[in-house]
Amino acid sequence: MATATIAAVPGRGPRVPVISMIGFALIWAFLILFVLYPLTRIFYDAFTNEAGQFTLINFQEFFTDRYYLRSLWNSLVLGVAAVVTTSVIGIAVAFLIVRYDFPYRNLFAYLTMLPMILPPLVGVLGFVFILGRAGTVNVWLMDWLHMAHPINFMYGMQGVLLVETVHLFPLMTLSILDAMSKVDPSLEEAAQGMGAKGWRRFWDVTLPLTTPGYVSGALLVFIWTFADFVTPLVVGVQDLLAVQAYLNIVQFVDRRIFRMGIVISALLVLLAIAFVLVARHYVAIKDYSSLAYSKVERRRLGPVKRWLAVGFLVALLFVSAIPQVGVLLAAVGKGWALTPFPVHYTLDYFRQVSIETPKFIINSLMFSGLAVLICLVVGVPMAWIMSRTQTPGRGAMDALTTLILAIPGTAIGIAYIRAFHYPLPGIDLALTSTWFVLPLVLAVRRLPYTVRGSFSSLLLVHKSMEEAAENVGATKLRTFRDITVPLVWKGILVGALFSFIMSIQEASATLFLTLGGWEMIPVGIFTYYIAGSHGQAASLGVILIVLCAVSLGIVNRVAGTRVGGLFG
Amino acid sequence: MIRLIKLLGVALVSLFATGAQAAAQAIENELVLITPVARTLTDPTLADFAKYAKEKWNITVKTSSLAAGTPVAYGRIVEWKGRPDADIFWGGESALFDKLAEQNLLAKLNLPKAVMDAIPASIGKPKPIPLKDPKGFWTGTVLEPYGLVYHPKLLARLGVPEPKDWDDLLHPKLKGNVAQCAPTRSSSSHATYEVILQRDGDEKGWAWLKRLAGNTGIFTARSRDVPSVVARGEFAAGFAVPSYMAFEDRLAGYELKFVAPKTAWITPEPIGVIAGTRHPRAARAFIEYLLSERGQRVAMERGVFPITPKYRVQGKPGSQAEMAVEFTGGVRSYFDLDVVNIYDDNIAQKRYEAVNQQYRKEIESVAEQLKK
Repeated sequence: MATATIAAVPGRGPRVPVISMIGFALIWAFLILFVLYPLTRIFYDAFTNEAGQFTLINFQEFFTDRYYLRSLWNSLVLGVAAVVTTSVIGIAVAFLIVRYDFPYRNLFAYLTMLPMILPPLVGVLGFVFILGRAGTVNVWLMDWLHMAHPINFMYGMQGVLLVETVHLFPLMTLSILDAMSKVDPSLEEAAQGMGAKGWRRFWDVTLPLTTPGYVSGALLVFIWTFADFVTPLVVGVQDLLAVQAYLNIVQFVDRRIFRMGIVISALLVLLAIAFVLVARHYVAIKDYSSLAYSKVERRRLGPVKRWLAVGFLVALLFVSAIPQVGVLLAAVGKGWALTPFPVHYTLDYFRQVSIETPKFIINSLMFSGLAVLICLVVGVPMAWIMSRTQTPGRGAMDALTTLILAIPGTAIGIAYIRAFHYPLPGIDLALTSTWFVLPLVLAVRRLPYTVRGSFSSLLLVHKSMEEAAENVGATKLRTFRDITVPLVWKGILVGALFSFIMSIQEASATLFLTLGGWEMIPVGIFTYYIAGSHGQAASLGVILIVLCAVSLGIVNRVAGTRVGGLFG
Repeated sequence: MIRLIKLLGVALVSLFATGAQAAAQAIENELVLITPVARTLTDPTLADFAKYAKEKWNITVKTSSLAAGTPVAYGRIVEWKGRPDADIFWGGESALFDKLAEQNLLAKLNLPKAVMDAIPASIGKPKPIPLKDPKGFWTGTVLEPYGLVYHPKLLARLGVPEPKDWDDLLHPKLKGNVAQCAPTRSSSSHATYEVILQRDGDEKGWAWLKRLAGNTGIFTARSRDVPSVVARGEFAAGFAVPSYMAFEDRLAGYELKFVAPKTAWITPEPIGVIAGTRHPRAARAFIEYLLSERGQRVAMERGVFPITPKYRVQGKPGSQAEMAVEFTGGVRSYFDLDVVNIYDDNIAQKRYEAVNQQYRKEIESVAEQLKK
């Protein structure tokens, strides 16, 4: 592909067919209606008082409140800490898997992705079952070593960081993996030829070349941690910004506190814009695309290093497996408390949540499937517009996409209720009264994964390949179909996979919008957890983990055989 | 030809059948609750109501419930602005029902006089707790106290006696072992804070609450998380309400116990029909069912008490009803007891936001220091 000749015929200039124009307009209409309009509701609330008059007093209250300021500081520190921990682990894993051969490499490649699919709430619950004050480890310590007080692994910032690190490092690995495998080996060979070896070559050549992937990964991790409220809540940490936003919003009785929740959400959105701008500035200034798309040579590791690599991955997987084991035990254990493992076992919980009430599973598959469809229809053209055209407003489009990631789900849920609770024109029914609002809100919330996945792949495919096709007479649409898509489909697939897995795990936005009969698995987990039915919640968690693991496995297989063993 | 007649016949019969059904439609065939009350109480009552409707009117009612904490449920009803996606609001504090009625978000109950007359106007002294709305927008359904849950095995490990009253939570050995939900987050926790404040007066009350914060190991997001973390043995004791799942944990096999201190506030678990509902007749039929002997019996097996003196919690030895009696310390009906109530809901509602402010300033923002 690198040998595609550049045609000598001068270009005829970009033609803009009507169909592209309509598509472009439709995408913007979608974004304005389903992202910008609901968001304006939050900002409207943040800048007004109960009487609806403009005021800045809400922000004044925030910035003079020591508790809120401490929450802001803690959130920033936690976000940075999570980026550091996931970077160290994520880069190490990506590097090992792309570059080296060692026993069971393919299996490890798959297993190290699994922590990503830990559903919210269930992941942290699983950790608490094993590492909590009455968890397996502490019960052992107290029973065997006669320790008077349990060790506090979970309740505090350390617990949140542990959960976020284990949950999110695969996000980092996947973001870098795609970019790293496309780095032209000749660049590294050149570095080697000039005397740069080992770490030096890695720092000076390999790592900078994977920057687009890394920055998007880091941004995802930072923003995810920044916006996560479920994990801190379970371990009793409340002085974080997202937690304050959630807690203030979900108590509706005290209107003052409720409004402060909206204000904090607005602030989260504003901060997210800032992060996105900084990150974009960093990625946009360099051209990382490469004409080469060659298979990466994998080196065999020496015996000692080989076992070190395997040892590292096994240790990592051991820690990552803690929540899964905890959830599985809770799903089959009855009345489990203060014993290392459950004393009584039952399959009742599984029967209840699958056979007796199959709606959770059915709704999840249907709504997430629809959401991914919407993501693909809207997201892939968006990525293409942003990376390939000079259309005005594409910068705004990109910022908007990333911004969506940062908005707390609860805020989106509230925004949708406020914005779409009016009867639609033509039919006497509000959007929030139809189940279609669920796939819609999922698609909007998970759109960035599809867009980012497609975008970073497009960035790495040099434009001259498409220009060559256009120069020999292919239309833009034809070029897109015959040249671009075959080159970037893996990125699109990974993006769509992210969108699907994240959709099927979404609970925060849907929690506010779900009406009787529409419950997806995560909302089911939430309602069972709220009702204190931990067994049923854990069973649904196990089902969700299995669903995600299977879909991850399928994609792993498909992508793996087609692109020369990149993923397995 | 015969086949044609048969077909015609079938068509005619089905035509009449649907016509007849529409005419005799005593209630709508759908019913949705929004409620903080646990599934252990809502699921069996809804299921039995569906059976009752089938027997009485031969109508299959599709029932469901939206589980939501009291503040969330209240908030959603306000956000729905008279175009509700649920028919009935059940549970929480009656003051919130009054607030909803003021905003025209509740419809009048209009239940038969005999049904309403069976429910006394109030219970408790010196401050009577209203059991039904004089204006007719809500009525109590069952009685249950806002009390304490604890894990006996963990308490034994810590060397702490089983609690009987609020003050037992301040035991020095319980340091780091109490779970509570902030009053800013939960209306039931708020009510318990008010019980302490109204019992001790402002100054002593806040000092007491600060000492409790010093013993607290976790502030949970919702009041229902308290029995949940106590049941698993993560923490030893905390405030709880039986039907907001404390009893559910007991039924799920956890060793969890409940005690209502003498001054515990008792909630009538109010119920009301949301204004603008699409199923008003089904909603009223459900409330009437819940207040009937049949409905009360189903509820009584779930750890809550009858709303009228007519019934008492009673079952065969080993039955769920007897388990509930044991769980709540031997009470069979609150009308058998001299209920002491010192909590004035009017005072509480008037200073609701002020108490929250003070909590945020004096406890939440300095919780780490209080623990030292």
